[in-house]
Amino acid sequence: MSGAAQTALAAPAGPARRAVRDPLVAALVGLCLAAAAGLLVAPPAPYLVNALGQLAAFAILAVSLDLVWGYLGILSLGHGLFFAIGGYVCAMHLLAHGVAATGVLPDFVQFMGWTRLPAYWAGLDHAAYAFVLALAVAGLVAFVFGLASFRSRVNGVYFSIISQALVYVAMLLMYRNDTGLGGNNGMTGFPLLFGWPMGSPGVVTGLAVAALLTLAAVLAGTRLLVGSAVGRRMLACRDDETRLRTLGYSTTRLKLGIWCLSAMIAALAGILYVPQVGIINPRVLAPDLSIEIAVWVAIGGLGRLGGAVIGAILVNGLKFWLSAAMPEAWPFILSGLVLVVVLVLPNGLLDLVDWRPRPTWLRGAR
Amino acid sequence: MADPLRALLALCCLALLTVSAAAAPLDRAAFAADLCGDGAAQVRGAEGLVQAAGDLPADDLAFAGGLLGALAERRLSCPADGAVLLDRPGAPEGRDARTGAVRPAAEARAPILGLRQRAAVETARGTVALLTGPDPAARSAGLAVLERRIATVPASVLDRARDAETDAALKATIAGLAQAAALSSPDPARRRVAIAAVAASPSGAAEARLAALKSDPAYAADPAFRAALDAGLAKVSRAVAIGDGLAVVYNGLSFASILFMAAAGLAIIFGLMGVINLAQGEFIMLGAYATYGVQEAFRRLAPGLLDLYLLAAIPVAFGAVALVGITVEALILRHLYRRPLMSLLATWAVSLFLVNLVRVTVGTQNLQFVMPAYVSGGVPLYADFVMTWNRLFAIAFAAATLVLTLLILRRTPLGLDIRAVTQNRDMAACLGLPTRRVDRLAFGLGSGLAGLAGVALCPIYSVNPGMGSGFIVDSFMVVVLGGVGSLLGTLVAALGVGGANVLIEPISGAVAAKVIVLVGIILFLQRRPEGLFAVRRRR
Repeated sequence: MSGAAQTALAAPAGPARRAVRDPLVAALVGLCLAAAAGLLVAPPAPYLVNALGQLAAFAILAVSLDLVWGYLGILSLGHGLFFAIGGYVCAMHLLAHGVAATGVLPDFVQFMGWTRLPAYWAGLDHAAYAFVLALAVAGLVAFVFGLASFRSRVNGVYFSIISQALVYVAMLLMYRNDTGLGGNNGMTGFPLLFGWPMGSPGVVTGLAVAALLTLAAVLAGTRLLVGSAVGRRMLACRDDETRLRTLGYSTTRLKLGIWCLSAMIAALAGILYVPQVGIINPRVLAPDLSIEIAVWVAIGGLGRLGGAVIGAILVNGLKFWLSAAMPEAWPFILSGLVLVVVLVLPNGLLDLVDWRPRPTWLRGAR
Repeated sequence: MADPLRALLALCCLALLTVSAAAAPLDRAAFAADLCGDGAAQVRGAEGLVQAAGDLPADDLAFAGGLLGALAERRLSCPADGAVLLDRPGAPEGRDARTGAVRPAAEARAPILGLRQRAAVETARGTVALLTGPDPAARSAGLAVLERRIATVPASVLDRARDAETDAALKATIAGLAQAAALSSPDPARRRVAIAAVAASPSGAAEARLAALKSDPAYAADPAFRAALDAGLAKVSRAVAIGDGLAVVYNGLSFASILFMAAAGLAIIFGLMGVINLAQGEFIMLGAYATYGVQEAFRRLAPGLLDLYLLAAIPVAFGAVALVGITVEALILRHLYRRPLMSLLATWAVSLFLVNLVRVTVGTQNLQFVMPAYVSGGVPLYADFVMTWNRLFAIAFAAATLVLTLLILRRTPLGLDIRAVTQNRDMAACLGLPTRRVDRLAFGLGSGLAGLAGVALCPIYSVNPGMGSGFIVDSFMVVVLGGVGSLLGTLVAALGVGGANVLIEPISGAVAAKVIVLVGIILFLQRRPEGLFAVRRRR
């Protein structure tokens, strides 16, 4: 890395300084903390608490994708894979915890004809180990896939297609009963969480609060990251990778690092999501779901962390409401929303409230 | 000089013998007396008839059939000098079995069929029904009776029935049964002949039948039998393996054809505009629904020509889907050429919209297609390998599409424009090519190809609103593997992916095959991100 280039990039220019003080992110973090406090003081109906917790998990997932798509220009259509890794490891922990506490084997294990959990489940009943394992597996898969792709300079739509194929392959694998993680039924029937019965109001509230606090932490952390020198390098890489590489930066290392971080954040979202819905099955690996994550980000506002959160909450909130109220109409509304956003509001709904000038890389795009 | 003469003489004698055997009539009086006799006589008569039936003239068989039927239904009456057939059990008079004259039967004895005799009589009736039944249903009912006691039926009966049979399916059943009977016959020479005959028309079923004979006691006892069986089995196994290999190649080819049809349009669009059309699967679905529309129109307007709907659907599906594609391009994609990732999301929205539009307007159920004669059935070519017409239709269709598309790209002004814009958009624009119009037409061409894929799929896959999503990942992999913008690359990649899938499938299962192939492609693309055949672009 040449010293001159580093100073040039490190010196905060106008927009960069503004980026550190992001009122939207600050507001969202504050809102998350306030909501968490509100839940603890006066919890509303459990289903609302649960919905809020799920929305927070989706928002974390959206932030993880925005980090690579909005700030590095890498559109992953396979982020459902990392979400599912977190979810599956979490489900394995919950089941192993249940077995350790009650001694009753889960249904699918009995269905496979096993008399005890397979060897690779060893230790999963310890929450800390399971947590580390989930993040490690997600990071490792991302590392291998990212290393292979970024080194051979697979990018743009190629990367998108290949990542979609990756999640599709994973879905096919998990649909097989022989793979051993519940097959097409997935895993469900979690009895306990840290020794407390699943589904009791206290656990529901606790999970939602945990999700909201994690969202706040992830938002604040990623905000700090994209406001730092690394963040400016990310933008430079997105806007002109060749130039950044010519200047002496290892774009492969940069992309790989952020890509793995993003995968681990997505796994975090999966970890928080599964105990709240009480089930994980291969459907979270469907390519459509992974595209939907990109849709949340695009609708909310690509390249702004707050936009990703708003998009995820808006789309999923609408989905919760409309797929019950008028299930026929929901796909039409979603596709219409995507087309309107893509054609009219290239920066997502945040264009409606002009928070700041459009980034240069999108100027003149239409 | 003497030898040929003797041989000729022997031949004459043999011919005479055969003729006399064939002409030997039934001793009608003795047969009637047997049936009127005690249980042992009844069995003797029935079994004698079965043994002789292969060579009896038809009128004898009819006579015997009448008597046997009357005996079984208790309509037989036995005066001292012959037999009388009654119209119904217990009737006062009936017709004499031999002369047909009306005779009183009131005081005559009516023989009763015992349980042990019934089986022999039923077999005899079945034999007569098989040989003289007026329609295939009657003959097949007779065969069903014989099947239960096939070991007692002589080969001559089955051979005669097979040779006389006019119904093809029944003929095949009889032949199979005759073969099985011969294989289990007590005569070793006849068994060896039967083994050779089975080995001459190899199939998986023949292999199983021969393999089952290995546990026969004769296999250990009779060296000649063992040699014949081993030789026959080896021959059949080899043929079955070759036939299965052919079937694998054929299935791989047809799968590759479908992949190619689905991917060709994508390749053109992607190569030209860099647009990932996630709605391509839904364009295929629309093509299939257009085919359904054509079929329904034919059903209403020209029911006599219904068989031709599949051919008539080809231009309709192409035109309709091309129109949809051009509309999508004009309304949406035109604005997104500089933002390929956004065009990806936009086409996803289009696909979501189309799937649900069809779901709401037509319904989610699978469409029912009339299969014209030229896409149903197939010809058995070798061993178990049957060349099915519907898959051949898809293969031929894909080949024709390939040739036509190549002609369009290589020999028409539009093709020249498309190739020029694919290679260097800016230079082509500088030279005065209307690149936007080229884009639109090429998008229409690519969409129309998806519509054609829909037509080709109708005879093979189930057609429903969600059918498109099954193709999208596979066909993208084919496009990327083949190299963007190269139709021949797409072809090679489709053949490779289709072949690999079908080859791996029997070893490790369908899902694992897909996984292995996709992982293989991902790994290959790490080595060669440009794909197999990269179009050289000038920048």
